[in-house]
Amino acid sequence: MADERVAVAYADALYTVTRVEGNVERVEDELFRIARALESSDELRSALAQQQTPAARRQQIVEDLLGSAADPTTVAIISLLVGVGRSAELPAIIDAFVERAARESGRLVATVRAAVALTDEQQNRLAAALSAQLGHDVTVKVIVDPSVLGGVVTQIGDTVIDGSIRHRLNQLREAI
Amino acid sequence: MRIRTALAGVCILVLSSIGFAAPAHAAESIGSCVVDVSMQVEELREQGLSDYEIENELESQAEACVEAPNPVLPDPVELIWITIAFSVLLVLGLKFAFPAVSKAMEDRSERIRSDLEAAEKAKEDAQAEQARYKESLADAKGEANRIIEEARLAAEALRAERTTAADAEAADIRAKANADAESIKAQALADLREEVTAIALGAAERVVGNIDTAAQRRLIDDYIDQVGSQN
Repeated sequence: MADERVAVAYADALYTVTRVEGNVERVEDELFRIARALESSDELRSALAQQQTPAARRQQIVEDLLGSAADPTTVAIISLLVGVGRSAELPAIIDAFVERAARESGRLVATVRAAVALTDEQQNRLAAALSAQLGHDVTVKVIVDPSVLGGVVTQIGDTVIDGSIRHRLNQLREAI
Repeated sequence: MRIRTALAGVCILVLSSIGFAAPAHAAESIGSCVVDVSMQVEELREQGLSDYEIENELESQAEACVEAPNPVLPDPVELIWITIAFSVLLVLGLKFAFPAVSKAMEDRSERIRSDLEAAEKAKEDAQAEQARYKESLADAKGEANRIIEEARLAAEALRAERTTAADAEAADIRAKANADAESIKAQALADLREEVTAIALGAAERVVGNIDTAAQRRLIDDYIDQVGSQN
């Protein structure tokens, strides 16, 4: 609970800064991707969370990884969090940031996991279908996750719509 | 001791009577009798008897001298002495010996009677003891029989108890063995089912993992259509 409050506090502060910068949508998208990359890479997460490594060195690693490909605000946010020793809470802070941004814009964020990337047309169709079902605008955030095997898993808040092959295999395992 | 004293008194009295009687027999002999007769000649003459009468008298006295004494009848004098001695002896005997002998006899009779009574009492005691012994023997036999019966009953109860316990234990062992067998069987079936499931799912995953991108797109499209159809 304390970590969640810390994450929300950081997310609110960073969202305020980002909104002032005027590039909320891009930063939100980049932060979301960075969070998913951190979740899927133990090595990267360990390197950024290493307390024995000086903060400046860890921040240098962030800048080297992101470089000019990311928005400077995104790089600054990640560098700040790594510098203050919040690398472990990075995904939670970023998720709170995304939720805050979606809430501010009156949208819902759907985290979509699929074995392959969705095309733009599929993302639009899925966003439209979810928006029609939920009665809110929905922004789709796609995560390529090979463990899904096939199909899609969509999570919106506490709601999960699981149409993955992995889920069907698990159902088959339970049935057997 | 008293008997000995009484016997000594009797012996003394008998010997004394023999001593007193002896002079009576020594007073007469044929020789002295004849001398006495011949010395009476002058006396007879002085009495004025004739020679013929004297001769007859002497002859009769001489015949009396040679005449043998009666072997049965004692001499009167001797008889008197014997009577006196016997009387003395009788008096002494009645005075001293008889009471002692009588007392000794009574004592002996009393002792014999007491001995007999003691023997009778001992016999009764022995019989009573024998009766008690027989009774105690009977009691002991009864007690022994009772103990044997109790031991037999206890052994029977113990045997029944152990038999019951052994049966229960055997039943438990059988039940446990059956349960173990069922458990092993169920576990084996579960393991087999799990293994078959793993094999089947592994095969399914390999098949799914090899599906191409187009199939993946179709799966995503189907998912989107399914979400859209729920509106």
